[in-house]
Amino acid sequence: MSDERSRREVLGTAARGAALVGLAGLTGVLAVKANKTYAWSIDITKCVNSKLGALGVDVCEACATDCVLTLSAVRAVNEFSECGRCYICPAYYDITSAVGPDGLPSEKLCPRDAIEREAIGWIDPDDPANNFYEYTIDEKLCNGCGRCVMECKEPAGLGSIRLEVRHNVCLDCNRCSIATACPEEAYERDALSTV
Amino acid sequence: MKLETNRAIASNQFSEALRGVALDGEGRVYAVGDSSVKVFSSEGELVRQWKTALPGQCVAVDDGGRIWVGEFEQVEIFDAEGRLADTWKDAGRLGLVTSIGIRDDDVFLADATARWIRHYNRVGEFLNNIGDRHRKGGFHIPNGVVDFAIDADGILHVANPGMHRVERYKPDGELLGHFGRFDGRDPAGFPGCCNPTNLALDSSGRVVVSEKAGPRIKVYDPDGEFLEVVTDDLFDPAAKNMDLAVDAGGRIYVADPVALEIRVLSRRAETVP
Repeated sequence: MSDERSRREVLGTAARGAALVGLAGLTGVLAVKANKTYAWSIDITKCVNSKLGALGVDVCEACATDCVLTLSAVRAVNEFSECGRCYICPAYYDITSAVGPDGLPSEKLCPRDAIEREAIGWIDPDDPANNFYEYTIDEKLCNGCGRCVMECKEPAGLGSIRLEVRHNVCLDCNRCSIATACPEEAYERDALSTV
Repeated sequence: MKLETNRAIASNQFSEALRGVALDGEGRVYAVGDSSVKVFSSEGELVRQWKTALPGQCVAVDDGGRIWVGEFEQVEIFDAEGRLADTWKDAGRLGLVTSIGIRDDDVFLADATARWIRHYNRVGEFLNNIGDRHRKGGFHIPNGVVDFAIDADGILHVANPGMHRVERYKPDGELLGHFGRFDGRDPAGFPGCCNPTNLALDSSGRVVVSEKAGPRIKVYDPDGEFLEVVTDDLFDPAAKNMDLAVDAGGRIYVADPVALEIRVLSRRAETVP
């Protein structure tokens, strides 16, 4: 009986110890995250996908292809207040594709189909061109490839879509592989207060 | 016939912005940009210039030779010598004025803030809106500009770029019809999110339009049938909202907002071998 109690006590103590060690480790990681003073971010005035005047150039997909994560920590974000809510959005449709029977481009732009298109406000059931549309990016699908950003840029669009680093996903690598690959040095490590 | 560009006007005259172009009956060219109006002879010589109170967004010349300049929440009216004759304000109603049309006793001001056209009489009394009955609540102008022209019958032809259409309205606001459709491949259609951005009419009623991304000039017949692309390789790719005017000889004047000069496109008979 006493041997059994002793064994339980030992196992219990060990389990509590392991839990404490794990908790301490997690707390440490969170503390580091919470206390970090720098974080990676994208300067949209340097990023070739959003930089004004960078026209007729190929889209840069380094944010999607060079992150160490399977799905990059970078996402495209549509700032609704700057969006034209167009019937035919060049970031949603491949506007160079053939016109379909509905009068719309027959192909979408996003290779991961990560943009949702929804008519908003009062809906005209007879003529969809009479509606305004909201374009929302599904962050579970977006990998930050930047194609929509490039096509939304002035003068084709209004530049409402841009790339952003999701800090709850980013591992904060000291030597970020996206930053290393970025041809425009747009991927920067900034003081956290400015991110 | 072939269209070719043969000259530019107003080169090195504007430093920040060139937004509007208009012609008078004598062939003089009026350009508005920065915060000034500049008048050029038909040969392109600068003959007069003066300041505006606010940055000019558009310019028009009435049959009496007065120059109307659209600005934010007001219109300045100058005599032919550039002296300020009047300033129209319509507090609470008039926003950014991006196009002006004057015919007989009617004055039409494109209000890009409301996305409508305001109809006044010659003494500045408001009569009605045009475009306010649109199901989109007004013209859909992601580019921020409403542009229109008035034909010989007093009908307004309005660019509605978000719907890829040119719409025709009576002065009382009744929609008479429209032409245009989206197409990113066929030049007969309007490409991108929002084209055409600007338009003008020639003396035969043909509709000349400018587009953005990529910038080009096209012509449609009065019924909306596509006639031709005038040019698609002349302008900087960033050029947009290129204002237009057409003279009696069919020459097309394009306010180039990137090169900051007025491009003159003229027809030339092709040499027959």
